[in-house]
Amino acid sequence: MLLVPACVAALFALLPLGYLAVRALERGPAYAWDIVSDERTRDLLARSLGLTAVVVTASLLLGVSLAWLTVRTALPGARAWAILATLPLAVPSYVTAFAWLSAAPGLAGFGGAALAMTLVSFPYVLLPVTAALRGLDPAQEEAARSLGHGSLRTFVRVTLPQLRPAAGGGALLVALYTLSDFGAVSLMRYDTFTRAIHTSYRASFDRTPAAALSVVLVVMTIALVAAEARTRGRAGHARTGKGTARPAVPVALGRWRTPALLWCAAVAAVAVVFPLAVLGYWLAVGNSATWDLGGLARTAWATLGVAAAGAGLTTLLALPVGVIAARHRGRGARLLEQAAYAGHALPGITVALALVFFAVRYAYPLYQQIPLLICAYAVLFLPVAVAATRAAVLQAPPVLDDVARSLGRRPWQVLREITVPLAAPGVAAGAALTFVVCMKELPATLLLRPTGMDTLATRLWTETGAGSFAAAAPYAAALILLAAVPSYLLGKHRSRTT
Amino acid sequence: MRRTSARRLTALAAAGLLLPTLAACGSDDSGAGAKNAGNGDSTLVIYSGRNEKLVQPLLDELEKAVGSKVEVRYGDSAELAAQILEEGGRTKAGLFFSQDAGALGALSKEGMLQKLPAATLDKVDKAYRGSDGDWVGLSGRVRVLAYNPDKVREGELPDSVLDVVKPEWKDKVGYAPTNASFQAFVTGMRVLEGDDTTRTWLKGLKTNGAKAYANNLATLDAVESGEVSLGLINHYYWYERVAEKGQDKVAAKLHFLPGKDPGALINVAGAGVLKDTGQSEAAQKALDFLLSKRAQTYFADETKEYPLAAGVTSSVKDLPPFESLESPDIDLGKLESLQQTLTMLQEQGLV
Amino acid sequence: MSDDMSDDMNELHVEGLTKSYGAGEPVLRGLGLTVPAGALAAVLGPSGCGKTTMLRIVAGFLRADTGTVRLGGRLVSGPGVHLPPERRRIGIVPQEGALFPHLSVARNVAFGLTGVDRGERRRRTGELLELVGLAGYGDRMPHELSGGQQQRVALARALAPRPQLVLLDEPFNALDSALRAGVRSDVRAALRATGATALLVTHDQQEALSTADLVAVVRDGEVAQCDTPQNLYRRPADPWVAGFVGEAVLLPGTVDGNGTALTALGPVSLTAPSNGLRTGTILLRPEQLRLTATDTDGAVRGTVTDVRYYGHDAMVTVTVEGHDTPVDIRIAGPVPVGPGERTGVRVMGEAALHP
Repeated sequence: MLLVPACVAALFALLPLGYLAVRALERGPAYAWDIVSDERTRDLLARSLGLTAVVVTASLLLGVSLAWLTVRTALPGARAWAILATLPLAVPSYVTAFAWLSAAPGLAGFGGAALAMTLVSFPYVLLPVTAALRGLDPAQEEAARSLGHGSLRTFVRVTLPQLRPAAGGGALLVALYTLSDFGAVSLMRYDTFTRAIHTSYRASFDRTPAAALSVVLVVMTIALVAAEARTRGRAGHARTGKGTARPAVPVALGRWRTPALLWCAAVAAVAVVFPLAVLGYWLAVGNSATWDLGGLARTAWATLGVAAAGAGLTTLLALPVGVIAARHRGRGARLLEQAAYAGHALPGITVALALVFFAVRYAYPLYQQIPLLICAYAVLFLPVAVAATRAAVLQAPPVLDDVARSLGRRPWQVLREITVPLAAPGVAAGAALTFVVCMKELPATLLLRPTGMDTLATRLWTETGAGSFAAAAPYAAALILLAAVPSYLLGKHRSRTT
Repeated sequence: MRRTSARRLTALAAAGLLLPTLAACGSDDSGAGAKNAGNGDSTLVIYSGRNEKLVQPLLDELEKAVGSKVEVRYGDSAELAAQILEEGGRTKAGLFFSQDAGALGALSKEGMLQKLPAATLDKVDKAYRGSDGDWVGLSGRVRVLAYNPDKVREGELPDSVLDVVKPEWKDKVGYAPTNASFQAFVTGMRVLEGDDTTRTWLKGLKTNGAKAYANNLATLDAVESGEVSLGLINHYYWYERVAEKGQDKVAAKLHFLPGKDPGALINVAGAGVLKDTGQSEAAQKALDFLLSKRAQTYFADETKEYPLAAGVTSSVKDLPPFESLESPDIDLGKLESLQQTLTMLQEQGLV
Repeated sequence: MSDDMSDDMNELHVEGLTKSYGAGEPVLRGLGLTVPAGALAAVLGPSGCGKTTMLRIVAGFLRADTGTVRLGGRLVSGPGVHLPPERRRIGIVPQEGALFPHLSVARNVAFGLTGVDRGERRRRTGELLELVGLAGYGDRMPHELSGGQQQRVALARALAPRPQLVLLDEPFNALDSALRAGVRSDVRAALRATGATALLVTHDQQEALSTADLVAVVRDGEVAQCDTPQNLYRRPADPWVAGFVGEAVLLPGTVDGNGTALTALGPVSLTAPSNGLRTGTILLRPEQLRLTATDTDGAVRGTVTDVRYYGHDAMVTVTVEGHDTPVDIRIAGPVPVGPGERTGVRVMGEAALHP
């Protein structure tokens, strides 16, 4: 019953793949194979995967530790830390990379790329793990404590295994984001697949090698999605605990209070305060700053508009896919979910060119109009919303659907009255997340925006491109501040409902 | 009942697709008011790979000169070229204004650019226009060595960029390996000196401890602070810095390499008119405007580049006359072989 | 509460249900069952016997491979027929209640009351909350209720739309034993009051025997026996059923011709003629055995190995000479023996002989 809209969403997400097939095979399969089987491709693969592995590991460490500290412990100012920890999402990877590079040029390379990517992507782990922690029945932790386990051992042996589905889903998004990112790796001069794809456009203006390399990226994505589905195991579907769990009693930190606070402060400092400080420095030392507040407000307003519409469409498309992915275990459901993810590791420029390709041919009136830009956001960020929806729907036990059916509700009524309301906080979290990533999206926005329209991200690109860092700072600051609003509201909403 | 629910959800999805359209209406008035660019009416659409901050005032003037409405789409030159190639015959661009010759060469190669009239072409030296006569260079930037006079005396400066890998410059050279102009310069070196020499030079750069910076400005900063003695940059960064801070506040100086050295390569920004867009006439007018004295002077004054149109000279203080530059003779079209350059840079682990 | 539903229109008739998942062993192998209108029937079986699968087929969440489900003469599942759950008028009370956590107690109860005006909805909700002993709890949220209260709300919710049949899926499982008996009898009373036909799925034989009018014992996807609790206990169809519905003492016996069988515990009168059966298994309940002095006539001798005291009665395990397996003996009142002591054992009453 949800199948039709879900398939529409999946087809949407598969558009770039169709384009890649056309472009990669343009000069015959042999040519494409030569590129794919080149030794350098293998080298790039290893480099990309190496970076991804490190970023995912570091993000898990940061995300899980901060989520646990802010949700489950008596950490002073837990709410504020929780909000602060989601803010790095709003910082574009190129801003973080640039900030670090300008402070420490020696960071260029693997270390710098890993640092920058981790700092901008760990909230992808933090958010779902936070939600899962809130939904967890504290009785199990209490049981473990009563069996003589300390807080830490309880966390490792009882809590952590149950967070696996949420952390795994977040880790997948981090991995795909790392694979698709261009801004940070190019500034950090660490050669990855995306950089090779960009180079291919830039240096030879040849779209075939870029497409062939992109296909490898897609294959890699599918492998990662399949791997993540395996780590979910049964746990993801067995987490049908009562929807009426008691709120947990916060764990007293005791002598770990200071180290815990220092840890939170350190993460906030490097991930949020430092980039903001660099922005401040730009403002202070440069003389290119022109406080065109009207222009800033207009740009911010336009950004809010397209990002909100992008988040809306993406969430809507993600809803049927997420519900099916959570409620069904068959091969079809798995394929559907994988289709939604397939293009997520592609660099924005590739997705943008794919949409240029299709729009020019089949939807010319929409070309370089806002609706197409919004569709591009949906294609780019569908998995972000799908992951959130799926996790949220999993929190609602399927037996409630059965009960509602037995009380005379049709499937779509069950969806509207039970599944969606119960999943709403999680879906809203996904929408907020999508909203934030739409706001900072650059490559697709550059290619697909209406001529003359600016978002905060394109403006930032323009100003830094001209070397006017001081003029760029207000736009970067606006981006971060605007992204803080949904995070804050979300935190508030959460603490009210639990 | 299955059908009903499906219908309900389809309606929901349709509403979702409508939403963006509504948003579009909402934000159109907040945007710059772009509407149906390139509708075949009198609007000229320019895809500009040159930064908005740099050229927007000039393009505002251009609108008056051309007499029709002008819309400018800013982006990265290479990405815009890829976009135009993807748009093919239905491109919205009437004129492509590129940061470098390579992107124009790519469009020329695909036959997407229109042959320009001799009157237009002849305004620019043959060396700075497309070999098929379908694009012209508008402004030039020359590769130079920036140096810190506290660290190195004028008499000690190398005569060739090839010399910066010599032991006396160990740990004293800065460069920006990811910068497009640097890469174009390396391509030029390959054309002029051959791949073997270039490879050896790049290897030398690395073993000699040359320091890589994110871009030309950062390289200039490093020279300024004495972190390195020499920096490989484009000339106008220094002149912009001087214009911004005043000559006495800038310690670094420029060294223009003599003797047609590969290190003195001239890169150009240029433009070409797209074929069959219904905008050819306006685009041609726009191109002529960009070659006019007014526009060329703008480039000279605002971006500190060399004007390329005959008869216009830059009035920027201390800028050596264009004619005095001893740049290597090179077909800029050949700078398209950037891929091999990048492969070479990658082999040496520089990018 | 009137018996507005208890006409014959509410009889449940299940016939020949089969179901397998994928290529595996069938879960149901021709299960059949009839629950008269207004009766509370229990489906009793060990886990994995197929009872939950049956429940889901009756409710309409699953399709059977073959077989039919009729409710009050109306075919709801059968070849080419599958009425969706929302049109079956079958209420369910799942394990742990499964209240909608985002709705108040009153709105949970009113959830199934569609197509009636607000006043009627309020009246009916109040009526049902009163029925389950939770009047005045309407504004609470589910997480503010105890497990037993949640379960009662779940029942009220299921009963509110006056279903033809109520399915209870191990509804008392999650409750602690002290609470269980109380909730169980409240549920029974509430069901009686509305006159709805009900089907209780459980693996707890005590629960089945004490709550239901009719108990169907399910084994490997088939009904092994369906009878009243008393008959089931006293005349089990076979030793397996006997062992499943209560403690059983099984003794090999040889028929001696006078309607008695000779066993390790002495001669036992048979409830029915042996029909030519010469040897078989004699089935006794622990309460049919008595402890006697060791020198009592007709008693066999054994040694006490274990005593379990329950308050209202006690179970004494005795190893009897000539029988390998120790036998359990239930005694009321004080326990006269301790482990290690010698005792006599005697059989009272009749027993059946099974092949």
